[in-house]
Order: sequence, then structure tokens, then C-alpha cells
Amino acid sequence: MMADTAASTGSSNPATAKIDVRGVSKRYATDDANTPPVLDDIDLTIGDNEFVTLVGRSGCGKTTLLNIIGGLVEPSHGDISVNGRLVTGPGEGKGMVFQQHALFPWLTALHNVGFGCRNNGVSAAESDRISRQLIELVGLQGFEDKYPTELSGGMQQRVAIARALATDPEILLMDEPFGALDELTRLEMQDELLRVWSAHKKTVVFVTHSISEALVLSDRIILLAARPGRIRREFIVPFPRPRQRTDPQMIALYDEIWRNLA
Amino acid sequence: MTGSVRWQDAALGVIGTGSLFVLWELASRLGFVSPNVFPAPTTAIIGTLRTVPLLDILGHVGTSLLRIIWGFALGVAAGTVIGIASGWYRAFGVLTKPVIELLRPIPPLAWIPMAIIWFGLGEPSKVFVIFLGAFFPIVTSAYKGMTGIDPALLRAAQTMGLRGPKLLFRVAVPAAMPDLATGIRIGWGLSFGVLVAAELIAADQGMGFMIMNARQLGQVGVIVFGIILIGVMNLITDYFIGAVIRRRIGRWHAV
Repeated sequence: MMADTAASTGSSNPATAKIDVRGVSKRYATDDANTPPVLDDIDLTIGDNEFVTLVGRSGCGKTTLLNIIGGLVEPSHGDISVNGRLVTGPGEGKGMVFQQHALFPWLTALHNVGFGCRNNGVSAAESDRISRQLIELVGLQGFEDKYPTELSGGMQQRVAIARALATDPEILLMDEPFGALDELTRLEMQDELLRVWSAHKKTVVFVTHSISEALVLSDRIILLAARPGRIRREFIVPFPRPRQRTDPQMIALYDEIWRNLA
Repeated sequence: MTGSVRWQDAALGVIGTGSLFVLWELASRLGFVSPNVFPAPTTAIIGTLRTVPLLDILGHVGTSLLRIIWGFALGVAAGTVIGIASGWYRAFGVLTKPVIELLRPIPPLAWIPMAIIWFGLGEPSKVFVIFLGAFFPIVTSAYKGMTGIDPALLRAAQTMGLRGPKLLFRVAVPAAMPDLATGIRIGWGLSFGVLVAAELIAADQGMGFMIMNARQLGQVGVIVFGIILIGVMNLITDYFIGAVIRRRIGRWHAV
């Protein structure tokens, strides 16, 4: 069983590849020549509607890789394509959720969610309609007119997720979105995210420190090694959702990932 | 802050100010200070209202306010535009920052002689000095606001496809508003601060003129009245500016 769950290369069919990372390396201008690169020759193919998690120690470059996929950071070498087209910048069907909610403090929850629509030529009425639907989807009815400072951490992150979904991107990039939340809220948000994901099928790339979070959420876990940042190993998580954290198979896989991380 | 705490704070503020006036009144009435040098507030106010026609006083207030509004408005316009541009466009910031840092510490009053040479003795020279008082705090805080924007906000907007002027006006400028608002408020205060000096330039109207003229006529009461008047005018107008700012950004930013 365990042997089957650990695949060495991407399992997704290249014909349905959504995101294609080819030979991506990243070295920061401030690094001296002897420092190993943050990312070193990363190849990764992510399938349509696949939920992939990047896991690794701090400094392994998982956030950098996510930002490169998102078009926010340029790779030193290599390239990224989405649907076969080269990524040249942010936007264009790639929604992002950050560790800090990054909501616009001067806008209400409703207007934060509708911000992308409003600035991409969608009418106010239509963008409000979409925003209300998404606010309902993330369970925040009644909080439409609250400002971010008036919401709890979990609520803020729900708004951020709704905001990322509002422009209906094909890809959702999430950088430790629940990292700043308390444990209980975090578990709730994981369930919430899976519910949203099953309602709006998206390709998700999710960065986390937490192996158990990765196990609950993803189809595939990519374990990154630090400096030089390389893919150490990939794990398929074959269990049907919702997954029980206490399931013996889950625990066995957790242990295996943990051994590879240490 | 809850309503009752607000009222309590307001009441304490009134008590503090009131006590000062009572002490001053008593000190003068009981002869601790000579009324000829430092008259009691009631003496000054009643005396002035008896000797100076109310219309004249209102004329002085109106003239001064007009000058301040002009200088301040120009200071807001120039300070906001230059501050935002220098905080947003790196090259422009590198170009302008040293110039601003060089000019900023110069007291606006030091410019009075230049103002007279450039603009003559009329209104523009006074407006210019008041402008300088408003401009520097506003330009500095606009720059600070623009360079202190949480980069996550800009990134988030970029992932929603915003760039260029849209990113500037829909995200960066609103994000910098709290700092800009602080600068605007300080700028308004400094506009008042340089008023009297600006009205030393060959003025025949204005609160500053009223004070200086009273000195020549030996009317200490009018001087005291004028000083109180400037303080009160600043207090009232600052309150309105504060209220406008609270209305605009108070809901999402503690002012």
C-alpha cells in the first residue's frame, strides 16, 4: 500500500496539464555566488482541477515557487505555462490567497470580494450579485457591510478566499492561507475550503508547513528540500474525502512524509 | 470608544481648559499679574468688543481665513501630488526627496523676504508663506504613506489584474490615505502657525494685523483677544477637518 502512494513523478496526464513548470530556478540578486539557489531546476506538472500542496521546511522556496507560478516573481531560469501559454505576469485567471489576508481595509467585505470584478469592467450590480453569492458560499451572510478590521481572523480569510474566487480564476494559489489562524479555526477553514473547492472545481496549489493539513486537503503532496530548493519527493494521497485525520492509513502516510522531511 | 467614554473625555477636556482660564482670571483679578501687562480674559474680551466694532473683527477673521484657505489648498494640492508621485515612481522619488529634505527644515518665516521680492507686498506673498507651512508636512506624509503601503495589498491587486494607474489610484492612494490625512491636519495647524508672521508683510487686515496693530496702539486687551481668537479659530476649523477625515476613513482606520 505504502509503495503505491509514493510516486516519483507527476501522475497527471500531460494532455490535461493545467500548469507546467519547466526547469525553474531562482536566485535572488542579493545572494552571493556561493549560496545555493532558492529553487534549483524545478519540473512540475499540475493537472486540471488537481489539488496540489507544496510542503517543506522554512526557506525551501515553496512560497517563491508559488509566487513564480502566480507571475508575481520572475524565475532566474526556466518558465511556467498555464494551459500551454507562457505566464508573463500576475492576474489572467490566477487567483491568490495570502497568509495575511491582504484585504483592502477601506472596503467592506462585499466590496473587497467585488474588487476584481469592478476593476475588470463588470457592472456594479453584477459584481455585487457575484460577491453576495460568494459571501454566502463562505458562510458570511450578514457581514457584507463590515470592514476587515471588524472581522475575526477566520472571517477575514474567508473574505480573502471569496475575493480570489470572484473573478472565477481557473487556478487558485494559496500561500499558507490558514497559517495565522488558531487550530480550531484552521480545521474549520480546511473543511470550508474543500466544500468551496467541490462547489467550484479549480486547480489549487496550496503552500503549507503542516503535513496533516496537506494530507486532509490535497490529491498530491510535493515535498521540497531547502537550499538548493528541489523537489525531494511526491506523494499521492489516494483516500476519498472527507478524510479522517485519525485514519491509520493517513497516519502511516503522515509518518512516511515526516521521515522524508527530517 | 464607547459613547460615554467619549463624553467623559470631552468633559475632562472642557474642565482642563476651563480651569486654566479660571486660574488666569483669578491671577489677574487678585493682582498677581498686572492687568496692564496681562489682562484677565474677561477684561480682554469685553474690552475689545467695546472698542473694536464687531464687523471689523469679522473682517479680520474673514481675511485671515481666506489667506489660510488659499495657502492651505495650494499646499494640499502640491503636497499630495508631489508626495504621491515621489512615493510611487522610484526615479521621481530619488530626484525630489533630497530637495524636499533640504528645504523642509527651513522655517517658512525665513522665506518672507524672498516672498516679498517675488510676489510683492500683496496677497500672494502671504499666501505663499502659508502655503509653505502646509506643503511640507503634507508632502512628507504623503510620501511616507505611499512608501509604507503593505506590499501584500499591491500583490493582491496585481493578482486581480490591476496595474499602472489603476493600481495607483484604486489601491495605493486609498492605502496611503491615513498618513495623508494626518499630514493634512498637521498642515492646517502649521498654516495657522505662520499666519501672524505672514500678515506682518504690509497687511492692513487679518488677525495677525489686528494683534500687531494693537501693540502699536498699546491695547494689550486686543492682543490677548486676538491670540485667543486665533486659538479658537484653529480649534473650530481643526475639529471640522477632523470630522471630515473621520467620516471618510474613520470606519476602517482609527483616527
